[in-house]
Amino acid sequence: MTDPLPPRLVLSPGPHLRAEMTTQQIMWWVSGALAPVYLWAVAIYGLRVIVLLVSGIGGAVAGEWLVNRLRSQAQTLSDGSAVLTGLLLVGTISPGLPAWMPAVGGFLGLVCAKMLFGGLGYNIFNPALVGRAIMMATFPVAMTTTWLTPRLGAFMGTDAVTQASPLGIMKLEGLAKATEILGMGPEYYWHLLVGLRVGSVGEVSVVLMLLGAGVLLWKRIIKWYIPLSVLAGLLLIALCSGIPLFHLLTGGLWFGAFFMATDYVTAPMMPKGQIIFGLGIGVLTGVIRIWGGYPEGICYAILMVNAVTPALNHWFRPRRPHWEGAPS
Amino acid sequence: MWRRQRPRGAPRTFLRGGVHMDDRKAATAVLPIERFVPGRVVMPLSQHLGAPARATVKRKAVVTRGDCIGETGPDGAPIHASVSGTVKRVALLPHPTAVEGEAVEIEVDPSIQEPQWEERYGWQHLPRALIVERVQAAGIVGLGGAAFPTHRKLRIPPEITIDTVIINGAECEPYLTSDHRVMLETPAEVLWGAVIMAQAVGAWQVVIGLETNKDDAAQRLREAAQQCQCHWPVHIALCETRYPQGSEKQLIEALVGRAVPPGKLPMHVGVVVQNVATAVACYHAVRYERPLLDRVITVTGGGIVTPKNLSVPIGTLVDDIVAACGGMHKRTAKVIAGGPMMGRALGRLDLPVIKGTGGLLFLRTDEVRPDCYGPCISCGKCLDVCPLGLEPNQISVYTEAGRALETESYGVQSCFECGCCSYVCPAQRPLVQFIQIAKSAFQRGTALGIAVRPGAGCHD
Repeated sequence: MTDPLPPRLVLSPGPHLRAEMTTQQIMWWVSGALAPVYLWAVAIYGLRVIVLLVSGIGGAVAGEWLVNRLRSQAQTLSDGSAVLTGLLLVGTISPGLPAWMPAVGGFLGLVCAKMLFGGLGYNIFNPALVGRAIMMATFPVAMTTTWLTPRLGAFMGTDAVTQASPLGIMKLEGLAKATEILGMGPEYYWHLLVGLRVGSVGEVSVVLMLLGAGVLLWKRIIKWYIPLSVLAGLLLIALCSGIPLFHLLTGGLWFGAFFMATDYVTAPMMPKGQIIFGLGIGVLTGVIRIWGGYPEGICYAILMVNAVTPALNHWFRPRRPHWEGAPS
Repeated sequence: MWRRQRPRGAPRTFLRGGVHMDDRKAATAVLPIERFVPGRVVMPLSQHLGAPARATVKRKAVVTRGDCIGETGPDGAPIHASVSGTVKRVALLPHPTAVEGEAVEIEVDPSIQEPQWEERYGWQHLPRALIVERVQAAGIVGLGGAAFPTHRKLRIPPEITIDTVIINGAECEPYLTSDHRVMLETPAEVLWGAVIMAQAVGAWQVVIGLETNKDDAAQRLREAAQQCQCHWPVHIALCETRYPQGSEKQLIEALVGRAVPPGKLPMHVGVVVQNVATAVACYHAVRYERPLLDRVITVTGGGIVTPKNLSVPIGTLVDDIVAACGGMHKRTAKVIAGGPMMGRALGRLDLPVIKGTGGLLFLRTDEVRPDCYGPCISCGKCLDVCPLGLEPNQISVYTEAGRALETESYGVQSCFECGCCSYVCPAQRPLVQFIQIAKSAFQRGTALGIAVRPGAGCHD
């Protein structure tokens, strides 16, 4: 039970305690918060979602492992960030994509956007979104045409049917025709809210994403500044389009606002910077959707505003009371 | 970004930063203070900030408890024999804060009768200079941990007016309960000590600040304030349980709403802050002319078999305290002198408890933070908790890259090392240590780059 002299005492400076949440735990909590979203995707798009997840996560993990191996440095997979990147990437792609494509995207996103910049903590751009952007440039047809019609019980093995995404219809057909095709009544908006709609794997169910976001807010992993200002920024532009509610509930807006834009490494640290960051993303998303060439713009909006993060961190710093004669 | 308004009736607190943490005081908060006298003590001659004392005894000398065995100049705090017995040696011995220091080892002789200290006439109405003189003669230093000689804090330059004496009973460090027990068991002595110090500095009010987890002590103090007839305005104020509430400048901000500029002392804003145990020591010094001989320490943590609040003679060895508390668990990884946030890890157990030691903490392997750490992920948590609004993340990244001399604009020089940033860092980066490295780089004038590969520690 007791020992007169312990084998060795650890000597280190204080503090000798630490808070519960570690980097690794944060990554797993975010992944866990996304679990309901992916379960819903399996429910409405079928088991192929699992194949896509394995492929995307596998590609990301392989990328990180390979670069660490080539640089002969310690493996960093256990921090969970590569798995989360793969998970997030699959959330942004269409469910009908060939299974090998997410692996390519995950691998290249991890290698080009994260590992080449120095690994976790040093990347400027969100690796998952860089992966998606690379896929968009490499497989433009597959990325924009393989949408599946959501059907509860799709995992039972019924055949998948392809259909265009709501934002795609809006872009191609214009407001008047799209309203007719989509039948924008209360029931349609209800389907948008619960997630019975055509869309990317992770983006369809606003309700389930809010559930995950609630977990992250409750665990104080994210703060509300970024997501709310993203939504506010988009709403600002969407009001010009005449169908603000439609823009608010479609596309990857919520997924991007709560799970992508809040990535610590690529987002500013101070509240004011975060609000400007979020507004920038929201406004750019709206501009791309309404006046730009793509149906959905949140991926590029986040990537563009990521580039401004270092500047925002430089401009908005903690304010210290200014004292005469004090250093700095 | 918006300044929080304190709701009516909510406990007071400092304005920014800080962390709420599990206070882990339950194990010892209910245990009465026990007396423990060991068979020998080691009295280091350097127990305060400043030049060490000079030994006035030689080997084989017989000393009585309370005899002065170390003299100092007017700025130092003399050392007194805390037990009666024979001086075994005066030699260089291991020291808890320096590596080694000159110390007097005394073997207890139980046959020598313990001296009694008589009450001095007119102790309630002494002139200011005499109070300071008695406090200095008693060798009192700040018992909250800083060990700054107390009489120097009470010796106020004539151009400065002090209006408030704050007694720091916040005890914001987790685990520690010694101040809590002192306030519970001897509230009248705390009050009288506070009033004496207010007399010494010419303050017209006394504020005793406690955290809300010690409201029973606040109640006892209020009762004592009604009974002790010290005829002095004493306010007992509850502060939020939030680390670092007991930091001097934070407590002043919480209690009287004044900000102490960097590089200035509390007296420049008209305040003197003293710890609870220091107040009790001053009371004994002024009323009985009894020197500082004992101190109350909390012995706790998962690594000790029976946690206790102990009153021990200064100079008691950690070894003897471990034995008195039933021994140490096998998986004890760290022994800390002081609290878990700002205390010092001890490398050996033959070290004495000195005047500034507030507690002994025995932490098991599963209770301490691991030494490995990962790269900064820019989560900004350290910016949220820093009570001064510094940027530990930037300081750590610059220091890691060997560019410590570029960290001045992030506030490295005003850091008081409370440890909130290291505590919350999810990458477990030793931010305080980086700040210490940066500070020493400024002192040396060159930055020594430390070669740390990001993430190298954690994944091997």
